[in-house]
Parts: sequence; structure tokens; C-alpha cells
Amino acid sequence: MTAKLLELNALTKKFGGIFAVYDLSFHVEEGESLGLIGPNGSGKTTTFNLIMSELKQDEGNIFFKGKEISGYPTHERVKMGISRTYQIPRPFGEMSVTKNIRIGIMPDEILSVMRMHSASKREREIGISVGFKEHHLEAHPNELSMGDLRRLELARTIATNPKLLLLDEVFAGLTAGEITELSELLKQKKKEGLTFIIVSHDLKSLAPLVDRVVVVSFGQRIAEGSFEHVVADEKVKEAYLGK
Amino acid sequence: MKKSLSWWLLFTVLMSSMPLLISTRSLRIFIFANFIAIFAMSWDILSGYTGYISFGHPFLIGIAGYTSAILTHQFATPLYISMPIAILLTMVAGSLFFFPALRTRGTYFALVTLAFMEVTYHLVQVVRPDVTGGSRGLTGLPLLVTGAVQNYYVSLFAMLFIGLGLWALARSGLGTVLSAIRMDEDAVKSAGLNTSKFKLFAFTLSALVAGIGGVLYTHYLGSISPRGMFDINFLFTILIAALIGGEHSIVGPILGAYFLTFLLEFSRPYIPGSWRYLCYGMIALIVYMYAPRGLFTIVNAVENRIRGKNLRGEEYDSQTA
Repeated sequence: MTAKLLELNALTKKFGGIFAVYDLSFHVEEGESLGLIGPNGSGKTTTFNLIMSELKQDEGNIFFKGKEISGYPTHERVKMGISRTYQIPRPFGEMSVTKNIRIGIMPDEILSVMRMHSASKREREIGISVGFKEHHLEAHPNELSMGDLRRLELARTIATNPKLLLLDEVFAGLTAGEITELSELLKQKKKEGLTFIIVSHDLKSLAPLVDRVVVVSFGQRIAEGSFEHVVADEKVKEAYLGK
Repeated sequence: MKKSLSWWLLFTVLMSSMPLLISTRSLRIFIFANFIAIFAMSWDILSGYTGYISFGHPFLIGIAGYTSAILTHQFATPLYISMPIAILLTMVAGSLFFFPALRTRGTYFALVTLAFMEVTYHLVQVVRPDVTGGSRGLTGLPLLVTGAVQNYYVSLFAMLFIGLGLWALARSGLGTVLSAIRMDEDAVKSAGLNTSKFKLFAFTLSALVAGIGGVLYTHYLGSISPRGMFDINFLFTILIAALIGGEHSIVGPILGAYFLTFLLEFSRPYIPGSWRYLCYGMIALIVYMYAPRGLFTIVNAVENRIRGKNLRGEEYDSQTA
């Protein structure tokens, strides 16, 4: 039996009087690739923010490898093995690609960080592994295409050595060619044992990547199952298209 | 790295030979510039790097100055004891800055630090004025060394020692993390780094430098007063020196401190009174407009141009140059 890597239990988050996430429960198993889909404003990114402790839930629990992690701050959760990309890439604008990746590699110890003076082999390897060409490694984010910025997000998260990757709208703004390249890269990472939760509006690109899909609408889970199963679900059609 | 170190060496040799080249009066201007450089670097390692803009640096410098002044003046404590105590207390005060930084950012943080300075300005006048000297302050404090040349060397080597130390730290991974905090603190947390820990370190380091500068400055002047120490103009001199020189560079604040001090002092015989400040303001404005990253970038650009490199220090491509 596969172990549950992450489990959300009755998670609720309210902004003012509005529920962004309501009584949401789902889990992802080790090595699995889970799609988290739903219309705009259905609470997908908020769920990621809760998993990363960028927001605190009002109710509910989050378990990682069976351990309740609700009280842990973001950096502790990253050290445990959870990492995320952002819907709108957030590179460190004044730093080169390798320096951006270096931030992900850095140990959380002041003295060790002080001893890091120059580029390490590993940051270049990670950069190359996500598809950067050698000459792009010293480029700055303002010189990169959207596809490269997504690569950089991915590289920085991979640099933290994650067990679970949360990918937020990884295909947004990419050309068809870039989507194919990124999909291949994610398939490769999955083969290497990484677990994913992928949020995407691009269902066509998402379908071949995921083992299972959870559909949310107005912060609540409305369907769960294989991709084919959920897209045929009446509640899902209604959430996307209206009655 | 080697190239930069040779610049530091050249600068050290040049500055060390100044007493042979210039008058005692000019030397006092250099002493003041050295102290402003220390304070501006202290500001830079905190505000320039992390983006937490401090308007309260005179508070830190004042804590150091007042602690040592009170200990030596009121309790006849020798300098070698009063100065380390004052520096330690300043580091504690620096970590006090850290608490508002846990909850506030940007303008709010700047205002909280400004409040630290204002509150201390009033407190030293009303709480135990018999100890602090009240609004008049304390005079007749023991001097660390006497004579312009000796004082120049104390200020110069303190500035060089601090400058080289901070510059080396800023070029290490620490500088990278602190800069990343300025750019996007949440993204740094998402990379698995405890930003609070790094910020606390930067705040304490900044206070350590402000503390060293504060005690040396106080025992150079031989007096301290609330109006002189917790003054908004003093704050602006530090801030503008760091900004005009080029923040988050460490070398920039040194350039800025010298530039500003020379501008104000050497123009004194030629431009009367407030006109001098008008010129100073206008030159600062022109530098901000045309080189918003400060004089440091101009110096860098000129150096790279001479060496046939582009602005980032890379060799020019013969196709595009």
C-alpha cells in the first residue's frame, strides 16, 4: 500500500465573510501526481498558500508524512520536503539564473551561508536539468521568456530537494512547444520519484500528467477521481460552464 | 576578487598617506567623512541590503555614545571598559529594531524606527538629566587619542576594517540572502530559509557597526548632546551618503560619505550659508536622476569601460560593441 505523503483534513479559510476554502479534504500519495482543478476563484492557490503556511487556516489540519504540520512556518515545511512554484513567477530580479537557484540550495545556517562565495556545480546542474542552455545561466530574469521564468521557478524549487512539489499554473503563458518541453520534464521528475500537485487551467496539457484529479468549486471539493471520470461529472461541468 | 582587493589596498595606501599631503584642517574633514562612512555602511548592511529602511540609525549611534559618555563621565569608568559595554548595549538595542520588523515592512517600519529616535531624543532630556546632562548633554569626555593625525588614523582604520569586513560578508552567500529578502521575502521563505534569523543577524551586525562608530565618534568629539546626536539632519546625512554613493554595495556609502562631506566642507569658503545646502540638494537630485543606483555604479561603469567590458563586467561582444 502506498503511504499518504500529504493529507488535508477539513481545511477552512475565510477572508472576511467569504469562504475561500471550506471543509476541504484530500490527500496525495507518495510518487503520485495529483491535479487540482476548478474555475477561477475556487480556492486552488489559497489551498497552496495554506499548505505552505503562507496563510494560516481557520480550521482543519495538514499532515505531511503522517505528522501534523499546522504549527510549522514556511521554511520548516520546505525543509521537510514541500516546495512550490508561483502562479506569477517570482524570480529575484537583480540576480542571475544561477544565483536564483543558489537561494534554493543554501542551507538555513548563517555560518554556512557566509562560507558560500562562488557558484556551485550543483546550481548549474539543476539549471541544465530543467532545460536551461549554458549561456542562459548567467542571464537575468528580465532577459528571460515566460517559459524560461517557469523553468527558473521549477529549478529554484527543485534546488530545495523536495519530496512534494506544488505547481501553480505552470503552463500559463507558455507556447505549445514550451508546454511540451515542460511536460516532458515533469514526467521525467515523476519517474525520478517526485510527487506533484498541479494546478492548471490547461486541462489538455494536465491530463497526461496526472494520476488523479480533485475538483474544487467555491473552496469545496466537488469531485475526485481519474481525469476522464471528473470531466464527465455533471457537477464539474456545471461549475465550469454554469447551469 | 583579487582586483577588488587591490582596489582596497590602493585606497588604504592613499588614505594612509593623507596626513603627509593635506593640512590639519582638511584632515578633520576627512575624519568626519570616515565617521559618516561608518554610519552609512551600518545603514547599508541593514536597510540597503534587506530593504528594511531605518530612519532610526541615530538612535543606535546615540545609545552607544551616551552609554560610554555616561559611564566615563559619571562613573569614571575607563574607556576600555565603557566602550565594549556601550557597543554591546547598542547590539541589544539593534535587536529591539528587529521586533517591529517581524510585523511591519516598508513605510511603517521606517516610521517605527524614526519613533525610536524621537522617543530617545526626549527621554535623554527628561529622564535623569543629572546623569545624561539633559538638553545640554555631556562635555569634557575623555578622548581616545589626541591630535588630528592620531584621530584621523583611528577613524580611518576603523572605517577600513569595518568596510572590508562588511564588503567580504556582503559578497558571500549572506549578501545574496539579504538582497533576496529585499527583493521578495516570501520567496526566500519558500526557498527554505528562515528570514527572521537572517534579518536579526543583519540588524545586530548593523548595530555593532553603529555602536563602534558611535563610541569612537563620541570620544573623538569629547562631548555629546541630544540635539547633535538625535538630529534629523544627522539622519539625512547618513541616508543620503548611502543612497548617493549606491546602496547595497558597502563601497557606495564610503564614496557617498566622502563626496557629501567634501562637497559641504570644501565649498564652504566659496558658497555662502544656505546656498551651500541648495547646491548639495541639487547635486544629490541630479545624481538620483541620472544614476539612481548611486555614484558606485558610475565608478564601476567607467572602470569597466576602461577595461573594455560592458556594464555587467562582461567582455564586449565584438559584434555588438
